Amino acid sequence: MRDVNPDGRGVPLTTLLPGERAQIVALGHGSGRQHHFRTMGLMEGKIVKLIATQPARGPFVIDVEGTQIAIGRGMARRILIRKL
Amino acid sequence: MKKIALTGCPNVGKSVIFSRLTGVNVISSNYPGTTVDFTKGTTTIGGEKFELIDVPGTYSLEATSKAEEVARTMLQEGDIVINVVDATHLERNLYLTLETLEMKKPTVVALNLWDDTKHLGIDIDAAKLETLLGVPVVPTCAITGEGIKELASKAHSAEPSKTIELMSEKARWLKVGEIIRDVQVVHHRHHTVGERIADATVKPMTGIPIAILVILFMFLFIIKIGNAIIEYLMDPIFCNYYGPWIVGVVNSFAPSGLLHDILIGTSTVEALDFEQSLGILTTGLYVPFGMVLPFIITFYFMLSVLEDLGYLPRLAILVDTGLHKLGLHGSAIVPTILGCGCNVPGALATRILETKKQRFIAMTLMAISVPCMAQSAMIFAILGRYGLKWIFIVYSTLLVLYILLGLLLKRIVKGESPELLLEIPPYRKPDPVTLLKKTWSKAYEFLAEAVPFVILGIFIVNLLYIFGAVDVLSMVFSPILTTLLGLPEGAIVALMLGVLRKDIAIGMLLPLGMSPQQLTIACIILSTYFPCIATFFVMLHELGVKYMLEATGLMIVVSFSAGMIMRVILIGIS
Repeated sequence: MRDVNPDGRGVPLTTLLPGERAQIVALGHGSGRQHHFRTMGLMEGKIVKLIATQPARGPFVIDVEGTQIAIGRGMARRILIRKL
Repeated sequence: MKKIALTGCPNVGKSVIFSRLTGVNVISSNYPGTTVDFTKGTTTIGGEKFELIDVPGTYSLEATSKAEEVARTMLQEGDIVINVVDATHLERNLYLTLETLEMKKPTVVALNLWDDTKHLGIDIDAAKLETLLGVPVVPTCAITGEGIKELASKAHSAEPSKTIELMSEKARWLKVGEIIRDVQVVHHRHHTVGERIADATVKPMTGIPIAILVILFMFLFIIKIGNAIIEYLMDPIFCNYYGPWIVGVVNSFAPSGLLHDILIGTSTVEALDFEQSLGILTTGLYVPFGMVLPFIITFYFMLSVLEDLGYLPRLAILVDTGLHKLGLHGSAIVPTILGCGCNVPGALATRILETKKQRFIAMTLMAISVPCMAQSAMIFAILGRYGLKWIFIVYSTLLVLYILLGLLLKRIVKGESPELLLEIPPYRKPDPVTLLKKTWSKAYEFLAEAVPFVILGIFIVNLLYIFGAVDVLSMVFSPILTTLLGLPEGAIVALMLGVLRKDIAIGMLLPLGMSPQQLTIACIILSTYFPCIATFFVMLHELGVKYMLEATGLMIVVSFSAGMIMRVILIGIS
């Protein structure tokens, strides 16, 4: 399985499996949403752990430095990560 | 009077600090966004009186959303700022702190949830933080009151920061990182048993069965304990003490006639009748106190437990996928559950949803399909005597309507239904005193609202009967009620009162001597056809006239269609 793109930009957060950890490489959202994510603790360089995914394309539950966040799959797809 | 503005990120305990400083009880819950409107109070520090403003929680003052704009404006009104920071999540809280300090107001920082940092393995050098920020930093624990006195006295002598200057967004994030490196050390810890259990409640394999058990337990608790309060407390008081006494008192000065009938209706000492006598001192008090209050108490106690524990956001995650099919997302479960208590706070709580489409759908579905606790209590009371089956039919019908209408509205309402993005607070142990206070304040609110309106409702019904208006109305509406829905003509009285309050409206069905089938249909129609007046005005304010007209039209059409369909279906059920 390819964990990092050849250009090193990382893979979507949605490729993580429950229990896996990864480092955030980039936020691929508009600036307003990026700002919102940063204030929730989601930003480049942070380590995320996938806690759970809900069935039928439901949201992801991730842990960023002790804060748990539920995030829809569409938004999660645009967070790029490097698996650890 | 000088103003102190209390700011901070969502769910950091601002409202608890506010209560501590002012002595005013503010409702706080363990999920973000409880304080939708701002709250004001006064406090005295060092002999000087201050006005304290509880600003709704935001992560920044950038004015990218309505809430942030409001927070910024309110902050500017303050002469002194108390910035409440969650010490267990210092990094993400500091951004707002820097923005606040850049406004150059006299400021104090409260490092709240300080006691939690110790068992989380977080070491914060508060003295160093104070030097770096250039304003006093006071560790606090709002729940126990630790540090509150010091916070108040430091606020009194606070000055603007000399070390923090206006900077760009990027520079601010860099500054946050710099400060964190200097003042905070996080020790590595292993996953505790508690955290494993917490995680199990959001994993679908374990979380969904747990959610079903929690809801089942909540439901049984509300019904069983509510019924026990009625059987062992309310009924004995009303039947053995209050009833004979009030009948005696009224008979002593009005043994018969108009006044007697309005006060105690058809009740006599030999035949006390609280449910059907229609006197304002018999039925008018028995309905709110004897039939509804017990369930209000058990419902709000249970809701407070779930709120303070922090379970509701977890439930939101589990139901997110399902609610997306209805044009909503997981967070809509919070207003829906609040609506089961009372639709008014339920409608207000839809503000946590991002778009107008979601809010319209959430409010319309609630007005149609979510009966408030007062209404549910009356449904339990009048249908319960014919067996649980009938209660089950009413609620199943409402659930089916909720789903079908949601599927429909998702398709026909224009606008966006965004995805879920929700911070999940850590579980916290509910404080028994806070639970009782919250339950009491809800019970009090209910009585203050219900007793006058129920009495007014019964008074109006008495007038309608006395002046013969009931006969006229019955005749006018009998084509709809009798021919289409199979209900007695007299049910028009219940439908009219339902606009005022739903509980007393359902009570009006009792004297009509209906079959369980007819009662079931009447309960479904009363739940769905129109919200009570209080809910109506809140929805009107929140949605605007045009949307409210659409919602109202939908309610009437849905209600009477459902009534007619159920009439056919119930022919087969006895």
